[in-house]
Amino acid sequence: MFGKASSSQLSVSLGGSGALSHVYIQHPPLRCSIPGSKGLFYDDGNKLILSPTSNQVFSWKTVPFASHVAPTSDSISEGPVLSIRYSLDSKLLAIQRSNHEIQFWNRETGETFSQRCKSETESILGFFWTDCPKCDIVFVKTSGMDLFSYDSEIKSLHLVETKKMNVSWYVYTHESRLILLASGMQCKSFTGFQLSSAGIIRLPKFEMAMAKSEANNKPVLAAEDVHIITVYGRIYCLQVDKVAMLLHSYRFYRDAVVQQGSLPIYSNKIAISVVDNVLLVHQVDAKVVILYDIFADSRAPISAPLPLLLRGFPRASSSSYRTGNKDTDGSEANDISDHETIIYGDNWIFLVPDLICDVAKRLLWKIHLDLEAISASSSEVPSVLEFLQRRKLEANKAKQLCLGIVRTVILERRPVSMVTRAIDVLVTSYSNSIKTGSYFKGIKAEKPPTSDVSNVNPPTSVVDESIRREDALGKSIKHGSASGVENESLNRSPAFSVSDSEENVSFENSNHLRSLGAKADRENFKVAESSQSEVQKLSLQSQLLGPSNSPLNANNSENLESQVTSAAISPDEMYSCVFASVEEEMAGDPAYFVTIVIEFLRSANVERIKVHPNIYVLTVQLLARHERYAELGLFIINKILEPSKEVALQLLESGRQNIQTRKLGLDMLRQLSLHHDYVLLLVQDGYYLEALRYARKNKVTTVRPSLFLEAAFASTDPQHLAAVLRFFSDFIPGFKNTADHSAYCRILNEMDSSITT
Amino acid sequence: MGLSSANTVVNEGFQFCIFDLRRGQHEGQELDKILFFYPADLPFSTQLSVIGLSEGLITFTRIFSPEAACEVIEAERNSHVFHQAEPDIWMVMVVEKSKESDSIWRIDALRRVLKEVHSLFVMFHGSIRSLLDKDPSGELVRSHLYAFIMDYLSAFQKRSTWDVCCCDFLVGKKIKLPSFRDCLKERGTVQMLTVGREAALEVQSLVRVLESCAGNAPCYSLVLFQDLLVSTTLSPDDTINLFTYAVLRLAPNALLSRASSWSYLRKGNTASQIAAASVMASSGSVSEQFYGSRDTSPHGGERSHHVVRPLQHNKWYKGMDGFLVTDIWGPEVGSMVSATPTVLLQQTEERMYLCVYQHKSLTLILLFPISSILNGEQGISVVKQQIVENASLKMLKVEEKLSKGWGGENAYHVGGYRYLLVDGDRNVSRASPPGKVTTLTKESLISLSNLREEIDLEKSRAKWDDPGHEKDLEICIRAKNNAWVIARTTRGKELYMVLEKANETLLFASDAIEKFSNRYCSGAFSLD
Repeated sequence: MFGKASSSQLSVSLGGSGALSHVYIQHPPLRCSIPGSKGLFYDDGNKLILSPTSNQVFSWKTVPFASHVAPTSDSISEGPVLSIRYSLDSKLLAIQRSNHEIQFWNRETGETFSQRCKSETESILGFFWTDCPKCDIVFVKTSGMDLFSYDSEIKSLHLVETKKMNVSWYVYTHESRLILLASGMQCKSFTGFQLSSAGIIRLPKFEMAMAKSEANNKPVLAAEDVHIITVYGRIYCLQVDKVAMLLHSYRFYRDAVVQQGSLPIYSNKIAISVVDNVLLVHQVDAKVVILYDIFADSRAPISAPLPLLLRGFPRASSSSYRTGNKDTDGSEANDISDHETIIYGDNWIFLVPDLICDVAKRLLWKIHLDLEAISASSSEVPSVLEFLQRRKLEANKAKQLCLGIVRTVILERRPVSMVTRAIDVLVTSYSNSIKTGSYFKGIKAEKPPTSDVSNVNPPTSVVDESIRREDALGKSIKHGSASGVENESLNRSPAFSVSDSEENVSFENSNHLRSLGAKADRENFKVAESSQSEVQKLSLQSQLLGPSNSPLNANNSENLESQVTSAAISPDEMYSCVFASVEEEMAGDPAYFVTIVIEFLRSANVERIKVHPNIYVLTVQLLARHERYAELGLFIINKILEPSKEVALQLLESGRQNIQTRKLGLDMLRQLSLHHDYVLLLVQDGYYLEALRYARKNKVTTVRPSLFLEAAFASTDPQHLAAVLRFFSDFIPGFKNTADHSAYCRILNEMDSSITT
Repeated sequence: MGLSSANTVVNEGFQFCIFDLRRGQHEGQELDKILFFYPADLPFSTQLSVIGLSEGLITFTRIFSPEAACEVIEAERNSHVFHQAEPDIWMVMVVEKSKESDSIWRIDALRRVLKEVHSLFVMFHGSIRSLLDKDPSGELVRSHLYAFIMDYLSAFQKRSTWDVCCCDFLVGKKIKLPSFRDCLKERGTVQMLTVGREAALEVQSLVRVLESCAGNAPCYSLVLFQDLLVSTTLSPDDTINLFTYAVLRLAPNALLSRASSWSYLRKGNTASQIAAASVMASSGSVSEQFYGSRDTSPHGGERSHHVVRPLQHNKWYKGMDGFLVTDIWGPEVGSMVSATPTVLLQQTEERMYLCVYQHKSLTLILLFPISSILNGEQGISVVKQQIVENASLKMLKVEEKLSKGWGGENAYHVGGYRYLLVDGDRNVSRASPPGKVTTLTKESLISLSNLREEIDLEKSRAKWDDPGHEKDLEICIRAKNNAWVIARTTRGKELYMVLEKANETLLFASDAIEKFSNRYCSGAFSLD
């Protein structure tokens, strides 16, 4: 069903018309509204949305993103809340009460204690919990970082280390475990640390590039202009240069920070999301989003800028999401201005990596890629396939799309060279997924992805020494953080690199804590106060699935998706979903189809992938049906169609009209040492003496003697019959006592007498 | 036996004629039935007596066996080999039995020569009957047959040492027929290159690209490496014909031979060329007389028509773009460009353009239906350009891969064995390299030749006895010189072998076969 839909859609889209959006948010959102709420906070360490009231804090899980999640609550004491986070083991709750004080609750005992700054001159910019072995929580202050460990015995924090430096502001994501501390007049000098379970790595100090508008006017870099993103297990920092209208990217290595080039921007306000390793640059003012897949070196966007779409809103009926977007958006906005979301409204805060929080309306949206639309927007099939193959989040959909695309290009008889490249992409991708193990993981992993989340927190390393291709598929982390291998392996499900798996990529929300920044929090504050009275019901709903309409479907494919973590397509699936189905639809000359099969086999052979015998069987059928026996023979002799019992039997079947082909099948049986079948077929073809000799040589005893005797009898040659009888009498003990023996002895006597008379 | 009458007037001991039983059935018109006669300078009375004898025998034997009239007459001093090429069109070869050992031959080998020349002729010119229908006077077919067969017989070139079975026959004035020395060869089969799966896939990938270059038209291809076939999409018969032609005239060795003949074989070669030329010249004059008498026929005015002689020597050369070109087919009407050769496929009976591309040792033969290419030469050059654009990279790759895996001309030599392996189902044969076969003694070769004669008989007998059921056959002979001469056939495959340095016992010989069979024939000959 999937395939059909996508292929039909494809055929339209390949014709040129593009979809109207590539990214969407699904209605309904997660509603985080609580009476008396003082605002919303995002705890990216635990992936929680927190909403404190005067004496309670409510929290919603955002992983997995489901709209019906009920909040849990903890009691807290009254007071201002600047920032709030649970510890990674969820035993402690930390609330920043002021610039100088952070208060802790022990959730089990209800005990509290506070940690204050020593001097009044310094103030706390923020804090975060960490899984670094040295410490448990880090305070970031204007004078530097304080690393504390929590001592459960004495129930207080214990200062482990202080890193002194001037800090204007900082950026941290839990996803990358990376903190960037800004200093200097323009706030463009950065010191970075990675506090991962592998230890603390200090990055070299570096400066970000800032264009000047005028000679004396030096722009100051703000926290919201710097974004840490994690794609394909690599860590980048994106910096908005508002003067040059460029988005600079930097990639972090263990001992270097390398500028990687810049992307153009078209809006003064830029937001960044990462969905399934695809970088989304929201041009907020222009209300469009541009997608980049920075896997390859290319900095070209995946497609043209298109608006973000709200999907599934009741008024916007099912068809509207594809037709006249703008209009519906507009009308929606009018209709629902009271209680629904305005796309790229002022109240939107983008949570890294892929959440949008509407702080005014207390809504949380998750951003989705519309893979169908993206794949439909480009006619460059191989690159679309490459893109789809890299998608992990909606792996199953990506896979179905890939299959649909390949089917379509074959059915449309696109040029062989293009189909070849498309097939190469799929085969290479499968081969890689086999090497990294993600394919088998996808097959095996039927357990709910959430179970792992807490302990699979990736200590994503900054270190990324090798930039080879496989890295990107997720091994980079393993390679990179060689220093922390032991820790990692303790921390991780053994065989698979973390960034490879769906859970991590999708759910490891890095906390943009302070880079959402102080500002964001303060905003929350205000909003919270102003809209305290608003009461909204919570409704949560799964948003994993895009366009399928009925909830039943949605559930089904959701289940599927939890099992498939890689879009890689195995040769078996290639056979069943592409070749078998395409073959049915392709009538007439088989040349094109055979060409494609050959290219597939070649590609598979290059990658040393075993191909399902059914493909060979299919090819044999096809060639035989069109009486291209010479080619068929060549294919068999050159082992282009590898020998197997299935192929041999098909050759025998197809060889009914062509004795040479039948012989090829027989020879193949012999070469495969399928003695029983070989002997049986020899007898059937009337070569019973040869069959006997072969049977004796290879000790085949499973073929019934009566078959040989019947064949010999049919030849009406008493000598042969006698020879066969004698053979069995001599070589099969007890044969003389069987009914066969006596019956054929009598027949033989009759034959003799009839001859002599 | 009185059959030797022809022999009395034949000096060279070799005659070759083609005649049509449907023609010249009236008194005084006997000459009409002769379509070709070699030597052409024989008096017509002698020609007629040879043909008359053959015709008589055919008519007589047809009484008993209407489907298959006589195949051979063994007289005291010569043999007549018959081949019915087309209904009522017969080819007869008369060879003299002399004391010279060189004239020990196998009838079947001679008949295969007849078959080969005919099928090549049909490939280029269409069937003899169709030419006769086109021009009932017979002049058209005579001129074509004459030129074609003389080219076939006369063209003698230095054979490369591993050019296995396709040689030409005229040495000086003497026709050199396949003799017992060629008993480890099988005419009318192709020799294949053994390739690994990876290379085979690359080759197929290339083939598909090539065949897609002409658009949607069904086209065919043949890929050769050196003188060995790598891939074909043609039917078996067409494959054999084109393969034969390619090895004779197109393969790198055939092209090269011109150069090499100038370097160190100049003397011998020119001598033979002169000899051949003189034969041509002398016979030409006679034929001129013979056909000259027809000048008064209604078609006489068109005598100037161009007779295409595809077997002419040294007419193919490599063009700048990698395609082989020839002027055999004459200039394109109204232009200076040579016309693209065309051939007729047996299976589809369709006329095809023949394009040949060569890159180093790799020869690609492509056939496009004439009907699919709209504006003649222009269309062809577009296709050629397409090929160069789309496939040249792949060709480089394939050539490299095949060269890497190529074991040289002795690649298929198996130490201790001299063998011929024939797969009748696929029309494929493989043999010890000629250089190695020459090390065998004459005795062994003659024994094998005789043995093969026996097997041929046995095979044809089995064919009439029980069609569709192939017999297993095994013969091991200890020759006078103590060599083992072995023949084994099983289910359409034949293996002939000479073991000269073998042990005394039969057991040893059969062990040797077993080993060979398991190793090189995937066990096809090791039934017990």
